[in-house]
Amino acid sequence: MVALEMPRSNPIIEVRHLHKQFGAQVVFEDLNLDVYEGEVLGIVGQSGGGKSVLLRCLNGLERYSAGRISFFGQDTAEMSGKDLRHVEARSGLLFQDGALFSALTVLQNIQVPMREHISLPKNIMDELAYLKLSLVGLPANAAHKYPSELSGGMRKRAGLARALALDPKIVFLDEPTAGLDPIGANEFDMLIRDLQRTLGLTVFMVTHDLDSIFAICDRVAVLADRKIVRHGSPAELTKDPGHPWIKSYFCGERGRKAQSTAKDTAT
Amino acid sequence: MASYDQTDDRQSGVSLFGSKGGSSSRPALEWAQGDDGYLLRIFGDWQVRHVRGIAKEIKKLKCGTPGTGPKGLTVDMAGLSGLDTAGAMLILDMNELLKSKGFIPEIVNAREADQILFELISRHPRERGDTEVKSSMVLDLVRDLGETVLSIGRDIIEITAMIGQVTLSLLGLIIRPWRLRFTSLVHHMEHAGLKAVSIISLICFLIGAVIMQQSVEQLRAYSAEYFSIDMLGILALREVGVLLTSIMIAGRSGAAFTAEIGSMKMREEVDAMRALGIDPVETLIVPRVLALVIALPLLTFIGNIMCLAGGAFIAYQVMNIDLQSFVERLNDGVDIRHFYVGLIKTPFVALIIGIVGTLEGMRVQGSAESLGTHVRASVVKSIFLVIILDAAFAMALTAMGI
Repeated sequence: MVALEMPRSNPIIEVRHLHKQFGAQVVFEDLNLDVYEGEVLGIVGQSGGGKSVLLRCLNGLERYSAGRISFFGQDTAEMSGKDLRHVEARSGLLFQDGALFSALTVLQNIQVPMREHISLPKNIMDELAYLKLSLVGLPANAAHKYPSELSGGMRKRAGLARALALDPKIVFLDEPTAGLDPIGANEFDMLIRDLQRTLGLTVFMVTHDLDSIFAICDRVAVLADRKIVRHGSPAELTKDPGHPWIKSYFCGERGRKAQSTAKDTAT
Repeated sequence: MASYDQTDDRQSGVSLFGSKGGSSSRPALEWAQGDDGYLLRIFGDWQVRHVRGIAKEIKKLKCGTPGTGPKGLTVDMAGLSGLDTAGAMLILDMNELLKSKGFIPEIVNAREADQILFELISRHPRERGDTEVKSSMVLDLVRDLGETVLSIGRDIIEITAMIGQVTLSLLGLIIRPWRLRFTSLVHHMEHAGLKAVSIISLICFLIGAVIMQQSVEQLRAYSAEYFSIDMLGILALREVGVLLTSIMIAGRSGAAFTAEIGSMKMREEVDAMRALGIDPVETLIVPRVLALVIALPLLTFIGNIMCLAGGAFIAYQVMNIDLQSFVERLNDGVDIRHFYVGLIKTPFVALIIGIVGTLEGMRVQGSAESLGTHVRASVVKSIFLVIILDAAFAMALTAMGI
């Protein structure tokens, strides 16, 4: 449990005793989680176990029944509308398929948060949008294309550019590598890692992909039995699973393979 | 992991709430000239939410051009309290501007994280990748005209092709009647037919009443108001009942067909059907078109009756003619052929509405905007074609003396 005792700055997000249910079905029960500044945190768990619901709760897209979610020590439930808009402007969210606005070009999509939250002169806004486009590895000629004309991987990159439009402190990624081929998935992982390092981002990532976990996650939190049952670095969780689901996830055939590839690329 | 583990007093403790964090300060520039060169000091938060202020500061900067002395310019970042990609981009832009004026700028006292940011941004192009093509209004007009003509041609070809496909499918159904999607047919008859009865009845009743009232008013001048019953009978049975019903159905069911098939097309359901060996014409289009071909004559009949009922109501109110006399007058003055002329048009009108509605649905592409465009096109085109068809029938049948 070395990672847990590592000296870290204050958590950006604190989730305490979160409780959420749909009708009679309890999704979270007493869920606790901290997200620290500058880390890449991966959330893993069974399909239908509420990973995406947790992400939606953190972004205010889903109500929760009880508990507390705070950003920078301030409870989101007690924030004023203005403060919430600040939070929205300082956090970016990448949906599974990009969720780009289909009636707007890629460039206009990237400019939506800029128009919505701050007012910028047109030429600076264009320059900034082209910069973000290049940062996520899209060619400049993609700027005037519509989302329906892009491939799945390009849509994700464009979605990431939109999430990064206002230089957020934290980005939420919902299954960033789902639906990409292994080469594309690996490229996307490396892109996230590079941007995280150079822009000093905090990354909160819901994922299934063992390869991305071993490649880029500093810490993994496991969502099972309606709460975070364990968290730690991928290596620690492999060495000492402590929960049957974690054991089958990390110590299965695919887990071992992913870990050895990650080691190979690291050395 | 260098940038990650760095503990930095400027970064940590940064709050999400700019001013509340206490460290927020306005961006500023300070220009100075020394003996051994120039000095530009940068202060404050150079972040995306201060971009307007930054642009103003850069505009205000009065640096002129370097004299004959040393051209070195030290850009001191010690006073900088916050930097993000937007701010870094503007600093690099400013340096380019100063370079173009003859200075040799050099950034000093930058934090390690900021240096990484500068390197990252200078690696990436941020110019427009392509120059936008300037177009003239005349050229646009000519192009739009050409595109419209082409699209009309395309419409004619595709509608004809679709009529052919549907006819083939229907002929196939005569040989193998068990392949008809009976449940789907009944479902569409219910939605396009039965559920439209109330609104069509209401509209036809009101229009029948209005026609009757107006004609009584006008014919009274010649003491011929009795003939307004003949007029209403012929008008309602030949034209008004059919037109009102089919325009209503074009707006109601034609648009629904386009939206239903269009959203299936958007989610690749239609392609999935093809891949599974299911013919979309047979499963999606034929039941809808056939449902309309059956439902529209029935609806038109109801529309006709309600039109006449509206007339009878006004006749009783205005001229005090009771229902029995109204029906007798109608029997004497209006030949049964007018009723047939009205009704014979309905299957053709139904075919057009069904074909246009489903065809526009099949043309929908990936985006939500495309769906909207095609629903609109479906309604406009089918109403237009319904009126054209009606006019053609009117001319042909009158020429034949029917």
